[in-house]
Amino acid sequence: MNIKILDSWLREYLKTSATPKKIAEKLSLTSVSIERIENYKNDFVYDIEITTNRPDLMSVVGIAQEAATVLPQSGIDATFVKPKLDLPTIHPKKSPELTLKFDEKLVNRICAVIMEVKIVESPDFVKDRLDASGIRSLNNVIDITNYVMREIGHPTHVFDYDRLLNHTLIIRESKKGEKMRTLDEKEYTLSGGDIVADNGKGEIIDLISIMGTANSVVTNNTKRILFFIDNVEPTHIRKTSMEHGIRTEAAILNEKGINPESVNDALARGIELFQTLANGEIMSEIIDYYPNKPKEIMITLSEKKINDVVGINIPIQKSVAILTSLGFMVERQGETLIVTVPHRKSGEDMLIPEDLIEEIARVYGYDNIPDTLPASSSASYIHLDLNEFYWEDRIKDALKYWGFTEVYTYPMVSETMFEGPIEDAVTIQNPLTDDMVYMRRTLVPNLLQVAKENQDHEIIKIFELANIYEKNGKNLPKQNLKLAGLLKKPKASFLEMKGVIEQLLADLEIKNATFKPLTDRSGALVLIDKQELGVIEIFDDTIITFELDIALLLQQATRKKIYTPVSKYPSVIEDLAIIAPTTVQTGDLMDAIKKQNTLIRKVSLIDKYKETRTFHIVYQSYDKNLTDKEIGEIRKTILKTLKDKYYARLK
Amino acid sequence: MEEKLLGIKNNAISLILETKTVKELEEIRIQFLGRNGEITQLLKELPKIPKENRPKVGSLTNEVKNIIEDTIKTREATLNKTKSQNFYALDVSEPGIRPELGHLHLITQAIREITTIFTQIGFTRVRYPEIEWDWYAFTALNFPENHPARDDWETFFIKQNPDTKKGPVLLTPHTSSGQVREMEKNTLPIKMLNIAKTYRRQSDVSHTPMFHQFEGLVIGENIAISDLKGTLNYFVKSYFGKNRVSRIRPYHFQFTEPSFEVDISCGVCLGKGCRLCKEGWLELGGAGMVHPNVLKAGNVDPEKYTGFAFGWGVERVLMMKDGIKIDDLRTLYSNDLDFLKQF
Repeated sequence: MNIKILDSWLREYLKTSATPKKIAEKLSLTSVSIERIENYKNDFVYDIEITTNRPDLMSVVGIAQEAATVLPQSGIDATFVKPKLDLPTIHPKKSPELTLKFDEKLVNRICAVIMEVKIVESPDFVKDRLDASGIRSLNNVIDITNYVMREIGHPTHVFDYDRLLNHTLIIRESKKGEKMRTLDEKEYTLSGGDIVADNGKGEIIDLISIMGTANSVVTNNTKRILFFIDNVEPTHIRKTSMEHGIRTEAAILNEKGINPESVNDALARGIELFQTLANGEIMSEIIDYYPNKPKEIMITLSEKKINDVVGINIPIQKSVAILTSLGFMVERQGETLIVTVPHRKSGEDMLIPEDLIEEIARVYGYDNIPDTLPASSSASYIHLDLNEFYWEDRIKDALKYWGFTEVYTYPMVSETMFEGPIEDAVTIQNPLTDDMVYMRRTLVPNLLQVAKENQDHEIIKIFELANIYEKNGKNLPKQNLKLAGLLKKPKASFLEMKGVIEQLLADLEIKNATFKPLTDRSGALVLIDKQELGVIEIFDDTIITFELDIALLLQQATRKKIYTPVSKYPSVIEDLAIIAPTTVQTGDLMDAIKKQNTLIRKVSLIDKYKETRTFHIVYQSYDKNLTDKEIGEIRKTILKTLKDKYYARLK
Repeated sequence: MEEKLLGIKNNAISLILETKTVKELEEIRIQFLGRNGEITQLLKELPKIPKENRPKVGSLTNEVKNIIEDTIKTREATLNKTKSQNFYALDVSEPGIRPELGHLHLITQAIREITTIFTQIGFTRVRYPEIEWDWYAFTALNFPENHPARDDWETFFIKQNPDTKKGPVLLTPHTSSGQVREMEKNTLPIKMLNIAKTYRRQSDVSHTPMFHQFEGLVIGENIAISDLKGTLNYFVKSYFGKNRVSRIRPYHFQFTEPSFEVDISCGVCLGKGCRLCKEGWLELGGAGMVHPNVLKAGNVDPEKYTGFAFGWGVERVLMMKDGIKIDDLRTLYSNDLDFLKQF
């Protein structure tokens, strides 16, 4: 998250001669990222991005300590002025009553104190500091809670003590359907499992750690406040805050899990400010319930480990100095450091040696670490024949040079775009929109969609190579790569698309493919041996598509090239015009011709008109010149076979 | 007689080569080979020659005749060719007749460039499931149970009963889900490049619900931060050019420790600071040293091995390249042919 703080505020806790620009530059490279410095009146505002794992740095004091550590690394003088925060010792005569009950599973710590205050406007320095932070000034009491949050880093809250019915707070999980009105007068119906405060009558009087409610907040008439600092279970906070879109600074901080030890500092600083800015008088004992105290964390770290991870030698005294300056307690035993993590830093991100290595390395300066390339190369190799990426590149290039343009479409489709029974679809549980719910089972509808969206183009040739998805019982859904293409042009020809596939197969040295008509003649299956490679579909006079299975294609593709010797003897060529019933398949005629003799090198169709098909036949021997007589014999067998099998004759 | 023959031959050849038209050539043919042509006249005089010389002169005359005929034939072919080409009508400014040329998608082009660069320094490209178990996408990557990335509003989940060990099924929100899969192959050292489609629940000018990432993972003995820095700089200089440099800053990711944000110097101001960048730098993406918990999840001993990883958006590096000027990321997936055919 980003926080904004004024330079003058930072310098209350940081003594340095560095300019704001210098501070920003050094912090950005070694600590938090200062994204911008803006002018504010006669001051500067730092706009600081702080990663979610470091809520301890989301405060003026946190940043001051960081700056005081990193600036001296570049020879810039800087010292951290640690805030003096001692809780006052109080002996109130007669404490106002307060009943507080809570669920220990929800609450880490709660501190509270009742004070008499005078509500007025805040002084200018408070208003400016909050304003620069992007927080609106309301009155001195509310402002103090925000001021403490920004300065110390722990959110705080105030209730109007006299508006709390029976002076009772019960902290519990909400039930489904409970209603509440936040202090900004918005009504919410809770879905259950939110942490709320109840006044003992079932009425919600606070959305704990997120926002106050209209029925308990401080007003201009408030005389007595309950200053209240709650530290509760963070995932509840995130759930409630996200679900209802109540993204207050308090919620954003609390959902990250702030160490409950810092409640002390916030409490002491708050009391001090109420006393100085709101004529605050302490009326009660300080209440401190602390059911979930964090454990003390100690980490052992060796010099070798530091150097292995960083890649250069950092002297151990240097590591000790850096950690100490950041507030860690370090005990050195020879080449080993035993480090105690200070409470305000302890959290999920300070548990293992690597966490400390990060602290040392970043302060030492990543810029001071040289560039090297890892010595080892990958231990795994892939034979090119099996390297899918090699083949995919070849396939894509071929299509590109045949005029096809590649598209990338979304694999999530609408119900209408989905092909097949919808109950078989791999379905997204939390789709972004209604037209992206199902994972596609074919690429073709997407290509048709692209053609439709580009209607102004009379001729379209496109392709896509992407996964399709299929349910697979309890296993992960099947994810198979497919290659699909679409041709759109006036009078689109099936043979044009078939030719693309034939040529693609030829380029991959796949020789055993056959084409089998679909039962309704709306296209053809493409088979390799008995396996289905894919399909060509004719949609109408203008659109033809294909889809092929990449796995099968690559299984058949080969880099093996076989040399066939070139004959020394000339070939003899003749064209035979054959009259045959139109129901006879050209492929069958060609196969029949080819099979007649091994001297027939090649058969091709050169013309087709009504019942006449003209075949171009190449005869060639490896051993001799062919005579007219020999060719005449072969021709005779060809014509006999064609006549017997297909009622065909020479024209 | 012999000298006369040679004179005729040389004269004929030079005259033939000087001809400009087929008509001129025909005149030359008549002059030498016609009924009253010079060669014919000579042949008529043959009986006047002493008998013993006749065969020699006869064959020489025939030889000259053949040479002249061949030269005429060659010249004729040349003249005809010139005529058919009609050089005066050639207009080289007319558009050529081009073979058909399609276009590869910008993402494919970027993926190829990235692959080329990383394979040069020993990385192997791999591919892992796009629809994946939570285990590989989150749990094995050290994400706590309640991490925000696992929220319904950030990651797409598939309607399917969760596996008792591997958890729910989801659309991979990052290519990092390939890290533990790669470790499971059990071949060290690792230098993996995983480029794939990734999915997140957002759509605006700088986000599309489907996008692409490329993930580098290096694991071996003594792999250090310095190796990560060197690798990043190698990529940045190879992809963006020698004027650009990279730097790393502290950051936070669950699956790396330490974690870094990688910046590259702005291509517009070259690091001076301008409207388009943050003080001279642009954010490229995340990186870090592989977290020991992730190594453990992949059955790699964190005491013996260390590693680094990075995962960046293909779209992001593409958009950061000089001069591409695409202001809305969604344009990439609009599949407008007028757009696609520009690249």
